[in-house]
Amino acid sequence: MAFVTRTPARASFALKQVQVPVSKICNVRSVSLPVAGRSFPSLKARHFQVFCAAKKETVDKVCHIIRQQLALPDDATVIGESNISQLGADSLDTVEIVMAIEEEFGILVEEDSAQSITTVQEAADMIEEQLKKKGA
Amino acid sequence: MALKLNPFLASEPITKSPPPPSPSFALPPMASRSLRSPTIFMASTLRSGAASTKEVESVKKSFMPPREVHVQVTHSMPPQKIEIFKSMEDWAEKNILVHLKPVEKCWQPQDFLPDPASDGFEDQVRELRERAKEIPDDYFVVLVGDMITEEALPTYQTMLNTLDGVRDETGASPTSWAIWTRAWTAEENRHGDLLNKYLYLSGRVDMRQIEKTIQYLIGSGMDPRTENSPYLGFIYTSFQERATFISHGNTARHAKEYGDLKLAQICGTIASDEKRHETAYTKIVEKLFEIDPDGTVLAFADMMRKKISMPAHLMYDGHDDNLFDHFSAVAQRLSVYTAKDYADILEFLVGRWKVENVTGLSAEGRKAQDYVCGLPPRIRRLEERAQGRAKEGPNVPFSWIFNRQVKL
Repeated sequence: MAFVTRTPARASFALKQVQVPVSKICNVRSVSLPVAGRSFPSLKARHFQVFCAAKKETVDKVCHIIRQQLALPDDATVIGESNISQLGADSLDTVEIVMAIEEEFGILVEEDSAQSITTVQEAADMIEEQLKKKGA
Repeated sequence: MALKLNPFLASEPITKSPPPPSPSFALPPMASRSLRSPTIFMASTLRSGAASTKEVESVKKSFMPPREVHVQVTHSMPPQKIEIFKSMEDWAEKNILVHLKPVEKCWQPQDFLPDPASDGFEDQVRELRERAKEIPDDYFVVLVGDMITEEALPTYQTMLNTLDGVRDETGASPTSWAIWTRAWTAEENRHGDLLNKYLYLSGRVDMRQIEKTIQYLIGSGMDPRTENSPYLGFIYTSFQERATFISHGNTARHAKEYGDLKLAQICGTIASDEKRHETAYTKIVEKLFEIDPDGTVLAFADMMRKKISMPAHLMYDGHDDNLFDHFSAVAQRLSVYTAKDYADILEFLVGRWKVENVTGLSAEGRKAQDYVCGLPPRIRRLEERAQGRAKEGPNVPFSWIFNRQVKL
């Protein structure tokens, strides 16, 4: 019964145990990409992320992969901001989505990178970063 | 989205160090997340980043046993279905109780251990210890983990008695279901006793640490997420019995390879009990598929989505925060129980219950049928990928073997 008497403060270390993006790594990674002269109508009125956003093509490919994996109806909305779990992905789906991303883009995704991804946009950003590293 | 390269086995792939939070599933693997905090609410308020790193660090020092994090659901089976199990009692008497062995015909732990009443006792013990010396630490870690699992038997009898329609209402209920549960418990009880005595005599392990782990584990209990439903419950036990059959069968094989034929016999005998139990439980579910195909296939899909959690996933020894994950990583490496076994068991059950051919299903039922039938290859593919990328595991101390280290 010992654990019942623990004070709330001691529970704080549980933070590391929760599967949640502890810090939004994507935010930290925000780099201003030169987007001058190009218009992204679909990204209009979005927040700062548009400045580090992956190519629309990449986002679209990720959306397609997710639609396939989750067998979503055609009228289901899947966009950059869509939260992958909220679209209905369970833990098995998410691993398979990552596997499909790896195959589609020819990259390897480390667990650390995958852990921080919650939205389509974040997945696309991560993909582009991996591709850049590969190219380098 | 949190990637677990192998969500069905240990909580994290072997590459990861230190391990992240673990979903631990059955058999070796998965399922429920364990959380080391008094309440779930604590975790959610801490998510905002309010906890300073210093606080986190200082709390890390005080270890506590893990607890189930998922919300505990009860009585999800509609009460009218309780009738089904009442009406099955005659059938159970004729078809399930026959899988019990009469006590007079049963083996007892003493049959496999040095005989204290004999003059040769001390020689027998010496021989046992000589043989045990030839067996490596990593094997003992797995054997100890298995023994601890067996010794948490009170939890499993409790679990069976949470099930609506089949529980033992008084402790001596004369229903076939209750007779089965008590006799099953009595048979299983010998497993822990036998392994305990063997490990005690072997001299290879720290009995006090093991005993502590058992005390913690029984204290923690487990919620297999069977929600008082015998549909979910018997599907769970079917899976588990096959898992233990495979696992003990593998430890038997390894013991033989190490030259300890007596230990091989011990593990093999336990394995054959598990096989008999598997036969009984799968028969019950087969009957349920006949009586209520829709309800049963939905239950099967539900258990698989929740993932079959390992009975000892909350194990704790007072030192290692990730004890279960470490143990199951070793079990995976030694091929005693692996993610591939999980997929194999699932595939076996899908075949055994002829899930592909079940008809008369609702739309939900058909979805469940598709999910379950399509699941084994998905798990295999996942497992292949994880294996392909698994790097060499770190060496980790186990208090069960006096903090000697074993590679994960």
